Amino acid sequence: MLRKIPWWAGGLLFSLLFFFSFSEWGAGRPIGASTGMAYLSTVLFGLDADTHEYTALIETSGAWEGVMLIGVFFGGLFMSIFVTKTFHISYIPTLWKARKNRSVPSRMLWSFVAGFLLVYGARLAGGCNAGHILSGGSQTAVSGMIFTVVALGTGMITGRFFYKRKEKRA
Amino acid sequence: MTERIVHMFDVVAAQGHGSVWTVLFIGFCFGAIILWSRLDKFEKMAGFMIFEDTLAPRMAMMTVAVSGLGFYLLVHGGYAEYQVKPTLLAGVLVGAVLFGIGLVILGKCPSAFFVSVSEGRVDALVGVLGGMVGGAVFTLTFPWVKNLLGPDLGPIRLSDVLGGYELAIVLVISLALLVAAYLIPTVDYHDPADEPKTEHKSVN
Repeated sequence: MLRKIPWWAGGLLFSLLFFFSFSEWGAGRPIGASTGMAYLSTVLFGLDADTHEYTALIETSGAWEGVMLIGVFFGGLFMSIFVTKTFHISYIPTLWKARKNRSVPSRMLWSFVAGFLLVYGARLAGGCNAGHILSGGSQTAVSGMIFTVVALGTGMITGRFFYKRKEKRA
Repeated sequence: MTERIVHMFDVVAAQGHGSVWTVLFIGFCFGAIILWSRLDKFEKMAGFMIFEDTLAPRMAMMTVAVSGLGFYLLVHGGYAEYQVKPTLLAGVLVGAVLFGIGLVILGKCPSAFFVSVSEGRVDALVGVLGGMVGGAVFTLTFPWVKNLLGPDLGPIRLSDVLGGYELAIVLVISLALLVAAYLIPTVDYHDPADEPKTEHKSVN
């Protein structure tokens, strides 16, 4: 089996999955992930719906996405072990080593901070890559389009200052 | 905690958006496609924002182009309904800025970091923990933050802003995205860590 699929095949497979999820034959709702992430955090930290307004608010969609994310983990695990055969314990991405540093504590600290910003930001905005960019974009939602432009623009500007300049390749 | 996890599955089973197995299947496929295309990698998702790789934007454009058209047909065939998120202007703007900063530093989105954990990436696991704290802090600060998210422009689509032309908008966006995805050059960041173990042992 192919160890890696090209961008167009990935896009087509995503679309087929989205049709299934979005239509009444599947789940009758688009895919999203960050509400599920917030839901799982309320489970982990014991923030119950009785005392926390937000937990009550995301009770149904958060549970759906929480279960979906469990599936996401096992889908990735299956592929990394049996198809791409890339499962191995690693600490720092190759590109981070090239453009930032080789320090494990630095990568871990930044990963924690970035993970925090990612989920807090997604919850402020009401969605992430999946809900706003892919599902929102596919429905020509205004919120999704604003999110896409601002998030990716901010990312590019941040990247310009956060990382070292690209080395010229020979 | 076990009680809450059982409750989560009960809520999904009762809400009429597919059975628990359907939802797990959707997630399984989503995670499998993310890993198979390597979209979960830092080199792909942070890499495209620092101009080292072009897989992520091309794959996203392809997805939105095909799904946009398909969703239109599904909705107008009576097999689905549009479910558009509200445009809470300040929330979307400030949230997108924080999200963009997080995305370029972590190099994963809130689905992909689970996929990366499943591939044995410890930094992604730390990212998930940061995200768990982020979600919990949002839940705790929500009673104050909710007043700052507006103005609420409602669940608007582009056709609401332009006063109609729904099919034309879908066709133009899909075509533009397909052409753009095709024209963006293939830049694939070569990662020796992806090669079979026997080959890269000698490198390190």
